[in-house]
Amino acid sequence: MTDAMLQIEDLHVEVEGREILRGVNLTINKGEIHAIMGPNGSGKSTLAYVLTGRPGYEVTQGRVLYQGDDILDLAPDERAKKGIFLAFQYPTEVPGVSVVNFLRTAYNAVHPDEQKSAMAFRMYLQEKIDLLEIPTELVDRYVNQGFSGGEKKRNEILQMAVLGPQLAVMDETDSGLDIDALKHVSAGVNKLAGPDVGIVLITHYQRLLNYIRPHYVHVLMAGRIVKSGGFELAERLEAEGYAGIGKEMGLSEEDLAEVQDKEGAKV
Amino acid sequence: MRNFLEQVKDQFTADKLTRESVVKLSDQLDEPGWLVERRLGAFDLFDKLDLPDPKGEEWRYTDVRRFDFDRFEAPVPTSSTPALTDDLVAKGVVVADFNSAARQHQDLLREHFFTEVPVDEHKFTALHGAFLSDGILLYVPPGVEIDVPLEVWRNVEGGGSTFPHTTVVVDEQAVVTFVDRFKSDDYAAASLCASVVEIEARRGATVNYISLQEWGRNVHHFQTQRFTGYRDSTVRSLAVNLGSAFSRAQVESVLKGEGSFSEMLGLYFADSNQHFAQRTLQSHDAEHTTSDLLYKGALKERSRSEYSGLIKVSKGAQGTDAYQANRNIVLSEDAVARSIPQLEIEANEVRCTHGATVAPVEEEHIFYLMSRGIDRVTAQKLVVFGFFGDVLDRIRLGNVRDELAQAIALKVEGEQSLEVAS
Repeated sequence: MTDAMLQIEDLHVEVEGREILRGVNLTINKGEIHAIMGPNGSGKSTLAYVLTGRPGYEVTQGRVLYQGDDILDLAPDERAKKGIFLAFQYPTEVPGVSVVNFLRTAYNAVHPDEQKSAMAFRMYLQEKIDLLEIPTELVDRYVNQGFSGGEKKRNEILQMAVLGPQLAVMDETDSGLDIDALKHVSAGVNKLAGPDVGIVLITHYQRLLNYIRPHYVHVLMAGRIVKSGGFELAERLEAEGYAGIGKEMGLSEEDLAEVQDKEGAKV
Repeated sequence: MRNFLEQVKDQFTADKLTRESVVKLSDQLDEPGWLVERRLGAFDLFDKLDLPDPKGEEWRYTDVRRFDFDRFEAPVPTSSTPALTDDLVAKGVVVADFNSAARQHQDLLREHFFTEVPVDEHKFTALHGAFLSDGILLYVPPGVEIDVPLEVWRNVEGGGSTFPHTTVVVDEQAVVTFVDRFKSDDYAAASLCASVVEIEARRGATVNYISLQEWGRNVHHFQTQRFTGYRDSTVRSLAVNLGSAFSRAQVESVLKGEGSFSEMLGLYFADSNQHFAQRTLQSHDAEHTTSDLLYKGALKERSRSEYSGLIKVSKGAQGTDAYQANRNIVLSEDAVARSIPQLEIEANEVRCTHGATVAPVEEEHIFYLMSRGIDRVTAQKLVVFGFFGDVLDRIRLGNVRDELAQAIALKVEGEQSLEVAS
């Protein structure tokens, strides 16, 4: 028995009959921040979704242990109740459902022993709003409807703050944000990080990692983690692009061509 | 002369919807001769009329050609009038059941019953005219504002029938809210309800009318509601359909007076094999009239709904502003919702907007909510509440709004095991 929070072992995942993840191995311990970097189409978002149980992602091989238990048979809500949280790359708009109502329902589902009344929840929510410096009016609007890109991402961080997960997966939380919004969102994540929380940052660019410092950096390419290291690996990727590392790690011509194709001129 | 055998048989067979039953009902109520004649005239019409043809626009997709009337017993006359305070009686407000109206308010009755909805409209209004069994007449004199909603409860037994009638006449500048509740237990035997609502809002009057159809599972309900608005009047209606096996609601607002306004709200939620058919009319017959219609419905399991709505603008009804929207959310692959908006415009300075949508619950929305720890049923509930939100927000009676919110929650949660034959 290790004190690992999350163990991903030889994970193979298919989406619509196509293998996207081809044997991912990763271990995350309490209090650690891991960055998973990779080019477009490498399987980053697939990894995020399969951890939260999104329908349509079929695990064909391998397992995912969370606090020692295999979670792959659990429904998304059961995983959330165990403390797993995904900050969506593209948060969904839910018409007619207010953020505050949504969050109270979620909070009470995740914390069955600490049910909060509408009033008590409102006060608790206000603490989180103040902590993250989010405009209060956001929570009385319908979930993500008419939100700007930055507001949607802030709303994700607010949800994370409210639910208090043990494992947070942040899928391209930096995408579509200007530098001010990025600083704001990163500051929020840093406030929520701590010795009991494991964080997985999924990103294409190093930019985010200047604001949230990861302990480990992994490179995901063609459905596998091809290289792991410290922060210096992120810097190298920024300087050299993904193709260089791909070649070094002995990716097939075909896979390299795909990286080249998806990344375009950036490689 | 009936022979002995027939007389014995009569004692053991409940009365069906026959001409004899009409006479018997009228006898029981000790009605004046002109009323008996009217009932019998209506019955003969019923006998003569064919069942509505689903090829016609008004009954499209609602095939009742094989509707069997022999299943139902003749109605037992009932009276369900709301009580009035002494203060309102002193102000001249009249609430009477059909029977006492026939004695004490004959003029009002003769003037207003069946003026807006003629008995010969179709087979079911004719049957209603023959067997009217639970009638209410409400008259609000000029300038009288009744701030407490008046409510009536309609009931029907298994195998039985009922023919409720609501006539509301609101005189100039008067204000009233009226709630019709149709509620019964679930019975194995099928029951029939054919109801008629006639509402007249005179100059500057305001009427809020709510019908709540929450029948037991084996009731077949044919509703005809017609509102007539005179100059500067306001009629707000809400038609709710949650219960019954089959319910057809025809809700019509006729704007006869300049500056009159009509709000028409509809809320329905069908499950198991329930079938709701709804037909609305927004008829603009005078200048500067406004109608605003929003009908929203949810469907689950194998239920069906049809909505067809007509905006009709007469020649000369310049400055008409008409809005019509029908939105449907479908919770299962087997449920079917149809929506047919129609326009018929003869004036040239008008603004008419209409829209119809039928969409499934988005799996994307459900997943997002579930990813935060909310179970599937609760997630569906949130999404369906969100869907009904704008209709619920517009319901002015808090208790009705709360009741409906509860009913919606139960519908989402519940799995209807009770299948009824349609």
